[in-house]
Parts: sequence; structure tokens; C-alpha cells
Amino acid sequence: MANGRMPLDEVLMIIAIGAYVAGALALLVYFFSRSEWLRHLAIPLAIAGCVAQFGQLLARYEITHIWPLLNLYGSLSLFAAVAVLIFIIFAFRYDLWFAGGFVLGLAALFLAYAITWNEGTMPAVPSLQSYWAKIHVPLVVSSYAAFMVSFVISVLFLVKYYFERSLAGQSVMPASGAAAAASGNSGAQWLNTMPSLAQLDVLIYRIVAVGLPLLTLGIITGAMWAHESWGHYWQWDPKETAALFSWIVYAIYMHLHTRNAWRGMRTAWVSVIGFLSIMFCYFGVNLWISGLHSYKV
Amino acid sequence: MQAARELYDDFIRTFGNVLFAVLLFIVWGLLTLVGVVIAQGKDPATYFDDYAAPLARLILRLDFNNIYHTPYYVGIIGLILLSLAVCTFKRVIPARLPPLRAVAIDKIPLHASFDVTGDPETIRERIASFFRARGWNVRKRELGGVEWTFADKHNWARRGVLVAHAGFVIIAAGTTIYWAKGFSGDEAIITGQTVSVPHTQTSIKLDGFSYKIKPIITKSGMVYQPIDYVSRVTATGNDGIARTATIRVNHPLDVDGVLYYQSSYGFAMRFRITHDGVRVPALMNRDYLTGDAIDLPGTQRTVAVAQFVPTVDRLNGQPSADPRVNNPAVFLQIFDSGQASGAGLVPMKASIDVGGGWRITPQHYLLVSGIQYTHDPGVALVGIGAFVLLAGLMISFYLLPARMFVRIDPAPGGSRIGLAATTVKGYDIFERQFNDLAAALGTKLIGDTRG
Ligand code: HEM
Repeated sequence: MANGRMPLDEVLMIIAIGAYVAGALALLVYFFSRSEWLRHLAIPLAIAGCVAQFGQLLARYEITHIWPLLNLYGSLSLFAAVAVLIFIIFAFRYDLWFAGGFVLGLAALFLAYAITWNEGTMPAVPSLQSYWAKIHVPLVVSSYAAFMVSFVISVLFLVKYYFERSLAGQSVMPASGAAAAASGNSGAQWLNTMPSLAQLDVLIYRIVAVGLPLLTLGIITGAMWAHESWGHYWQWDPKETAALFSWIVYAIYMHLHTRNAWRGMRTAWVSVIGFLSIMFCYFGVNLWISGLHSYKV
Repeated sequence: MQAARELYDDFIRTFGNVLFAVLLFIVWGLLTLVGVVIAQGKDPATYFDDYAAPLARLILRLDFNNIYHTPYYVGIIGLILLSLAVCTFKRVIPARLPPLRAVAIDKIPLHASFDVTGDPETIRERIASFFRARGWNVRKRELGGVEWTFADKHNWARRGVLVAHAGFVIIAAGTTIYWAKGFSGDEAIITGQTVSVPHTQTSIKLDGFSYKIKPIITKSGMVYQPIDYVSRVTATGNDGIARTATIRVNHPLDVDGVLYYQSSYGFAMRFRITHDGVRVPALMNRDYLTGDAIDLPGTQRTVAVAQFVPTVDRLNGQPSADPRVNNPAVFLQIFDSGQASGAGLVPMKASIDVGGGWRITPQHYLLVSGIQYTHDPGVALVGIGAFVLLAGLMISFYLLPARMFVRIDPAPGGSRIGLAATTVKGYDIFERQFNDLAAALGTKLIGDTRG
């Protein structure tokens, strides 16, 4: 800036990252120690970071009069904001704070990466000047955000699953995590402060149930927008195809989840694969593959 | 007859298996992934540039360069639909809409039992009113000499799966209609030119094309950002009446159900062409698009119009990145018997000697508008299908159909109540709610009967 002052949106962005990093650290320690005061410290930080981020998006719009959705800087910022928002809602409802360190940590990482893509003010190219941008982008980005939260819970599920299995393998007597915990194994005691595997599995399902309808709507509105801009609903552009691939993975998740034998460890893996495919769709396609959607500048 | 029956049974068993369906989904996913990773619809040579020769040959042999139109890609979607149909009728309907039947209460993971005082009839009434008050649908049946009470929550939502699956089938049907009846294509129209659009009775004349581009200084340097592309056209449809219209990005024009889109733009050139100083009108009176070639008669020589350069930097004579027209030039490549023999960046009105007494002078340029057109009669169906699919997803995800089984048996001093629950999504998802319900019911009955 000419007058040397930082624009409001960048100030808010820094506040958000700061709040996320502090909140993530507190919750990571909480994840291992379960000291309640850390949780009480982190909750306002997470909320403050999230509010600062939505403030940042609004400030950006006020300053540029362009919806901050159409480049990686804007969309990553929305992605992190929605991921934290979804996490906060689920955390209050299902006491999910133990996982917050990872969610806030990832959000901070994505934001830091977003800043490297801040190119300043840019008007949108013609095909992006559409009201569909304001519908399609938030839907898709929110679905990615939900999948990020379900990914974190899936990874925690798998950690707990394999840890419990190794405990069961180690000793002959305590056949389960609970039994091992009762016998004084500190790792097992700590594992037991997490929800049970069955509860984690239900949580993953509930968050995927937010993400999949959003992704479905996102793909549909994307097709409608493509129809208006390019004259085709579907052109098998790499972005479209990667989104469809991710959708297929989550449809598989949903179907396997109806089977008793598959619910749990296997569906958690499918959810992990789903998020990797979402990340490929988000970054891989934008950055590595050129196509109609590669509007990275 | 017997063999046919067995074949039919095998078919139903295979296609009615959810894991088989998942396998089909996985194959679909993998083929789709191939389409993401391998660039589609490129020139065969591109694959030899990008991949090792054996891999490139494999890609071409398996049609991986055009995978979405291969019989096996379309076939796998067909199999998925078939499997979906069989599953729906053979598995989903019977499993999701179960009859009221007696169960072994303590064989069901979610179960509870308690003893209360009071006669079975009054207790049954209390239980019914307990569930009704919470929005459950209560039915009573006598099965095998025992009085059962069944309470259902969101029973209708058991059909959510059917709705989702129907949505998917409707989308597939809409897409098939496009395949069978729709068409699309594109036309590059030069300013002033009229084209008749294939498959239609329509002709489109380009009255003018304009574009707006804004130079913007970003942190990584100057970027030329397109702001607007507009074609002014005169369109004549089935009724023979000519109407003027504008087509811009995101604002297509509809003529007789066919939509016209602004999809790209370019430049056409006119050249003054002379041989030994004499003009050659046959070559001069036509517009050349980028990529066209000028074949010089009586020679093995061709001149390719390789590129239109809107702005040549006046300082260094090199093409500038600025896409706005401001000192234009044409990049010409000369080929002799197919071999490249020269090239030059030729400004407007300047001329180039291409050998053998031939000279070429770029005279003026014209804007070209790339218009894409589509007719898609399946679109309404796809839209409806998408809506139905979404409704089905929401119903399936957000409503949890659950059934409570309650049996009351006489016990010393009162009755023994057995309670169990099943849902369409297993037991874990309902555990908390079940425990709360069982506790509340226990409190109500014990409190009531004792008080
Ligand atoms: C090969 C194609 C398909 C087959 C064979 C199939 C089969 C099934 C079956 C058997 C169930 C019920 C499982 C149970 O209740 O135990 C089910 C559930 C479901 N299906 Fe499909 N399906 C297919 C494709 C789709 C597609 C493309 C969608 C759209 C996303 C879809 C959406 C659903 C939904 C929403 C449920 C309910 C899931 C739940 O309650 O959690 N299905 N499917």
C-alpha cells in the first residue's frame, strides 16, 4: 500500500492465522493431555479465527467489489473458514474438541498457502462473471471443507483402530483398549478419552452426510454454469472429471456404510481416499493440469 | 429351461449384490481417473511426446485418449444402472420395508428390559402413548400368542433410497436423450460473414465483434485480463425473420431451441499477393484464418498463416504479451515441399519475399467470433433427475428410519417389558437415542405405576 498501512483484509487474515495457530497448539496439547483449561482457551480462539476470516472475506469484497471466490487466495480462505465453522458446529454438538488441533492446524496451513496466491485485485475473466460463481463456488468449497473435517476424524479413527489392535496383539489378557486401559497402559488410557470407534464412525458418516449433498449440488450447479458459459453441461474437463471421481468415492463410502461388515475401518479408509481425491481435484487440477478450470491467476 | 432359470438366478444374485455394485463403481472411478490423468482428445503424436512409446501405443490401442466415448466406459455405466435396478427391486425394497414381525429381543444389540407393576393392558397403552407423544407411529399386533407393540419413526423415509436411485436413473435417461437426439458444434464466423448452422434452419451473420481487455499490475507482473467478449449478430431462424441480437459470455442466444454461445475469438487476414509484381486475385480475395495455408500455384511452396500478433513491441520488434490490437503483425512460415524453409513476423502493410518472385503483404485484419451451439432436449430430464437425486440423498442422510419392538410378558407382581430397536443404518448411530428413550420409558412406567 502506498501509505504503508496494511489493508483491512490482510490484517484480518493475519489475526485469523494467529488465532488458528494458537488454538491448534492449545488443542493439540489438549489432545494428548486432556487438560480442560486448554479446551476453554482454544474454543474462543477457534471462534475468533473463524469470525476474523469471514470478516476478511467481507472486507476483501468491500475493498475490491469482487467476490473473493475466483482465485486460489479467495477460495482457500473460504475453504478454511467453512471447515472451521463446520468443525465448531460439530464440536459443540458432539464434543469433538479433541480433534480440533488437527482441523485448526490444517486450516492455518491452507491459509498460509493462500497468502502466497494473493495477487492483489483482479477483475474476473468473462466466463467467471456470473451469478453462478456465487452459488457454485461456495457450495463446492463447503463440501471440500466438510470432507476435510471428516478426513481428520477418519484418520483419528484409524489411529485408534490400529493402536487398539496392536494393544490387543501385545498382551494376551487385555483383549480390548478398555481392558488395557484398566490394566494401566497409559497409551490405552489416553486412547480411551477419545470417543469409541463406533461413535467416531457415526461422526464420520454425519459429516460426509453434510459434504456429499453439497458436492452433489456443487457439481450440478457447476454443470449449469458451464452450460451457460461454454454451451456444454459436461465436457470431461479435468476439474469436472476429478469432482465426479471424488463423488463416486463418497457414493461408494455411503453404500459400504450400509453394510455391517464394511462399516468402520474400511469405510474410514474410503473416506481418507475420498479426501485425497478431493485435494487432487482442488489443487492438482488447478496447479498441474491445464483445462477450462485452471484459472490459477 | 432349468439352465435358463439358473442363469437368471445367477444374474440376479450377482447384480443384486451391493459389493458387486461397489466393484462396478470402483471400475467406473478408475476409468474416470484415467480420463483425468491422461489428456483427452489430443493428437496421437502428443501421447508419444508425453509418454514412453509402449505406453503411448497402449493408450491409443485402448482408446484411453478418448475414454468417455469408448464402449466400455458407456458399458460400465450401463452395468451400474442394471445393478442399481436389480438391487433396488431385490434388496432395497424388501430390506427397507420390512413387515411387522416378532424378534428375539436380546439378540438385537440395542435392547433393554425392565419389570414394572401393573397389568399388561394398561402398560401397553402407556407405552403406545409414550411413543406417540414423541412422534412415533405405533401399531400393535398379536404374533404367535404374544402381544407386540411396534413403533416406527420416519417410516416413509425408508423410501429415500428409492428416490435417490430413481434420480440417478432419470439423469442417465436425460443424458441418453442428448446422446440420441442432441447435437452441438462450433463455427468461427468472420465479421460480415453469414453461416448456416448445420442440423438447423438457422443462419447467423456476424455484424461485429468486440472485446475488452484490461492490463493489471499484480504482484507477479503485468496480466492482461479479459473483461468482456461481445458478438453482434443477425440471426434468421425457422420463421425466416432476421433479428439482431448480442451474444456474450454467460448470455447465450436462443434460436428455435438451439443455444448459441460466445466461446472464443480470433483474427482473419487479407493479403496482397503478387508474383513478379503482378497481383494474384484468386489468392487475394479470400480471408485467411490462423492455421490456414496459402498454396502458391505452380510451385511446391506454401505459406502458413501461423499466428496473428496483435501488438509488436516497437522497441525490440518482438511480439508483446498485450492481446489488444496496437501495431499488429502476422507470423508467416514458409514450407518448400513440406520442409520448413523460412519464417517471418510481418507487420501490416510491410511485405515479405517468399522466394520465386512471390511477395506477400498483410493488408488488413478482421475479427472472428467463435460461436458454439448446442441443442439438448434431455436437459429438463437431467434437471429433474438432479433434483430428485438430491431429495433422495437428503432423505436418506438426515432421516433415520428406526423401529422399536416392544413385547410385554407377564411377570411375578406385574409385567416384564422387552424393548429393542433396529434402524436402516445399523445400531451405533442410534445407540445414544435408544438409551435415552429406554431410560425415559422406564422412568415413565415405573414412576407412573408406582405413583
Ligand atoms: C450400481 C448402482 C447402485 C446400486 C446397486 C445401489 C444399491 C444400493 C443399496 C442396495 C442400498 C441399500 C443398502 C441397505 O439399505 O442396506 C443403497 C442405498 C443408497 N443408495 Fe444406492 N446404489 C447404487 C447407486 C446409487 C447412486 C448413484 C446413488 C446416488 C448418490 C445412490 C444413493 C443411495 C442412497 C442415498 C442410499 C441410502 C444410504 C443410507 O441410508 O445411508 N445409490 N444403494
